[in-house]
Amino acid sequence: MNSSTEADHGAASSDDAAVAGAPEKASAAVPGPPAERGVPKWRRTLRPYLLIVPALLLTGGILYPFGLGLYYTVFDFAASKPQPDFVGLENYRRIFTDSSFWDSAWVTVLYAVGAAAVETVLGVAVALLLHRSTLVGRVLEKVLILPLMIAPVIAAIIWKLMLQPSVGVVNHLLRPFGLGGVQWTDTPTGALLSSIAVDVWVYTPFVAILALAGLRSLPASPFEAAAVDGAGWWFTFRKLTMPMLWPYVLVAVIFRFMDSLKVFDIIYALTEGGPGDSTVVLQIRAYLEAIRFQRYSFGLSYMIVLWAVVYLAAMVLVRYLGRIQNRAAEVPK
Amino acid sequence: MTKRQSGTRANGAVRRRVLGIAADGALILYFVFALFPVVWMVILSLKPANELFSTYFSFTPTLDSYRTVLGAGQDEGVPFVRFFLNSLVVSLGAVGLSLVIGLPAAYAAARWRFRGSENLMFTLLSFRFAPELTVIIPLFVLYQQLGLFDTYVGMIWVLQLVTLPLIVWIMRSYFADLSPELEQAALLDGYTRKQAFFRVALPLVKPGIAAVSLLAFIFAWNNFVFPLILTSSEAQTVTVGALSFLGGDRPKYNLTAAAALVSVIPPLILALTIQRYLVRGLSFGAVKS
Amino acid sequence: MTGTTGSASIALRGVHKSYGRDTALDGLELTVAEGEFFCLLGPSGAGKTTTLKTVAGLAEPDSGAVELDGRDMTGVEPYDRGVAMCFESYALYPHRSAYDNLASPLRSPKYRLPAAEARVKVHETAELLGIEGLLERPVGALSNGQRQRVALGRVLVRPARAFLLDEPLSHLDAKLRQAMRAELKAIGDVRRTTTLYVTHDSVEALALGDRIGVISDGRIVQTGTREDIWHRPYDTFVARAFGRPLVNLLPGTVTADGHFASAEGGFELPVDVPAAPGTAVQLGVRPRDIALGGEGGALELAGTVYVTEVLGRAVEVTVRLAGGRQLSLVAPRAAAAGLRVDDPVRLSVRLENLLLFEADRPERPGRRITP
Repeated sequence: MNSSTEADHGAASSDDAAVAGAPEKASAAVPGPPAERGVPKWRRTLRPYLLIVPALLLTGGILYPFGLGLYYTVFDFAASKPQPDFVGLENYRRIFTDSSFWDSAWVTVLYAVGAAAVETVLGVAVALLLHRSTLVGRVLEKVLILPLMIAPVIAAIIWKLMLQPSVGVVNHLLRPFGLGGVQWTDTPTGALLSSIAVDVWVYTPFVAILALAGLRSLPASPFEAAAVDGAGWWFTFRKLTMPMLWPYVLVAVIFRFMDSLKVFDIIYALTEGGPGDSTVVLQIRAYLEAIRFQRYSFGLSYMIVLWAVVYLAAMVLVRYLGRIQNRAAEVPK
Repeated sequence: MTKRQSGTRANGAVRRRVLGIAADGALILYFVFALFPVVWMVILSLKPANELFSTYFSFTPTLDSYRTVLGAGQDEGVPFVRFFLNSLVVSLGAVGLSLVIGLPAAYAAARWRFRGSENLMFTLLSFRFAPELTVIIPLFVLYQQLGLFDTYVGMIWVLQLVTLPLIVWIMRSYFADLSPELEQAALLDGYTRKQAFFRVALPLVKPGIAAVSLLAFIFAWNNFVFPLILTSSEAQTVTVGALSFLGGDRPKYNLTAAAALVSVIPPLILALTIQRYLVRGLSFGAVKS
Repeated sequence: MTGTTGSASIALRGVHKSYGRDTALDGLELTVAEGEFFCLLGPSGAGKTTTLKTVAGLAEPDSGAVELDGRDMTGVEPYDRGVAMCFESYALYPHRSAYDNLASPLRSPKYRLPAAEARVKVHETAELLGIEGLLERPVGALSNGQRQRVALGRVLVRPARAFLLDEPLSHLDAKLRQAMRAELKAIGDVRRTTTLYVTHDSVEALALGDRIGVISDGRIVQTGTREDIWHRPYDTFVARAFGRPLVNLLPGTVTADGHFASAEGGFELPVDVPAAPGTAVQLGVRPRDIALGGEGGALELAGTVYVTEVLGRAVEVTVRLAGGRQLSLVAPRAAAAGLRVDDPVRLSVRLENLLLFEADRPERPGRRITP
């Protein structure tokens, strides 16, 4: 048969070369003794682990600073105190008794709920409108992605320029309507709403894209049946579209809610937490404490608390998503 | 009777027509909101410095802002071209490293059920949702001790937090969609496992690799927190750099706009090329299109 | 290449394999002699494909062993076993042409041939399977039947110690399937090489197999030649697995003098049943052993026509017996001509091929009672 294959094969699994059968027999045309060599069990079991070792190492490299951060929170480590003392849970006690933490937490929740809610409603609406596939829709769909691909910080810069009270273009355009002097980012409420608006501008396409993909993957037959039965638009939307679409939308909502809990870029560039402390969300607070004031331990304690909140929110939402997806799988097709 | 019926039918048609136009109108309204800021940036960036605050829509367009930002940036004290190149280096580096490390892991997680694989996957997913500063603050301290502060290596390392979960999760879903019998057939054709992976599995997920790499590149490029805290000048990227034109006693809006536009060009071009694959990437494989 | 030429015997010894909670193979025992063409027949989910994959080394037994030529294959990589397998899903490389798919084994380190020789071999194989004209097409542009032949070609193009074929004809249209069935066994390599052929089609198994194995729930129920399987089925499962229309199974009991009495009391058979009187048993009658009209000496039954269905030159007649039980038979078209629903008919049953089984139980089908 083909006598040259032994060498080729040796290259492929070099560690087997030592036990390779006598190669001179290979050229014999008569059926020779089999060349098979068993791979020991432990090596077969190990195979997948070898493939993930690099990823594991890298994951460890990321978990290490996280663990280090957790460790720092029981000290009073700061630039001013490079030889920290153990303080136990003092940092956490200080946080939870500090009204500025609760203010930050409240702003964070307002921001996350507000942004996620508006983006969901607007995103689904845009998706439904685009799903009609009119000429206008097909043209506009091509640029739907645009805001999403702009770095959030750049988006915030863009809006900051536009919302300038005196020379910004938004007030210029509103002037004919007698609304020329809106102090967009200079009042506490205005600053929060403006930040949410930027978030909405960037991330509505995210919800819309996922919802549109969901709409396009829905089975046609229930809708045809509803149309034959003469069901109205609202009925179809409420009883058919929404229940079947909800799992897709929920994926988007989960991503958006969790991401806005840890918002940083947009607020940093748009308001830097101001005016006053009115838009200091938790990540901004931690940044100010840890980086600006270099109170590492104290700032980190903020982050650990936020991390725990995000983690819990994720668990609850993902479990809910699983239930919804199971239920959606039962919707008759 | 028949007359009245045809009348209602005509009314219905008119109503549908009006509703259709209203729907298109609503859509156009949203897209005005979505696109106007970009258009306005283009306008701002083309304004000459002396007309910056005196006019809105009528002015003499000039490319001076771009010239300043790209060429003579040093005059303004902002080495923007360098930031741009830095972004390119760290984003490419981060995606490259994630691919080398993530592809085998994604393949293993898709093909074998083994202890720890789900744990690894969920740890990676939790990175996606973890508040960045939880890791960045300790790294800020650590990097200064290790000499990684403001270096490419330091940035590429920390960007794994963004790129690795994305690549592993999405490539796992691509590999899982691929019938394992294809690789099994290759094994019986006389190929080794390594060859079966490289000759059969990998070519078949190439579109997935391309799409996820571009998306990971975009996210790495757009990241702001990491370079803000872990770089100062040498390895600083465009997202932080674009902010620097706003500093100083007199904010330079035209330069900021030009810098912002230049810095969004790479992600925008890439995004338009992979639009078809975006859904799976954006949802971490939770939604396939 | 040593170990990859020359046909090898195959043996599975007490192989267990489960996927999570599902048991695929439950102590499977099977031997296929060198050069033999062995058909493994069973319903879907019986463990046919898992059996092939364990032999190929693609699935690792939880316990038990696979042997090729008497050598334990535990831990031996698929590419070192020298077996070729045709997947039911074809498993063709979708990004390559039909030619490249066929040539794939001949480019592998294990079976590499010089390019010119490989080209000759690929064209020979393609010609054999009637797909020469399709070689340049991407596999995505082929019909299912064409893909199946490419998949078969990828197996035949290379030397192998054994062929493992998983439903290799199932997606061909009826005519082509019949032609390929005849040709497959005529192919020299197939004739010489041990072949383990998996199918759910009993006609295919009877036509092709030197020996046949019937598999159910991960175990071999019976192996034997087609005569063994046909005339001496191990139990009602095997009897039902072969022959269309299905074998007629008539419930009854053993009488005091050891005869068979039908449950509905319609008839009694003067055959000796080696079981205690009163035992519940079943009588198996192949439809082809029943004829229309009375013929002296045979068991005679009466009933009415329930359904007739023309099967080419023969007609399948379903007759309702006095007790309400239905009986299928196959009669020549001439004999069945003019039969209408509810017509009374008389049947005669040939006694020499009758089968006797225990009654089916919830846990297992009734076994054959050896007279």
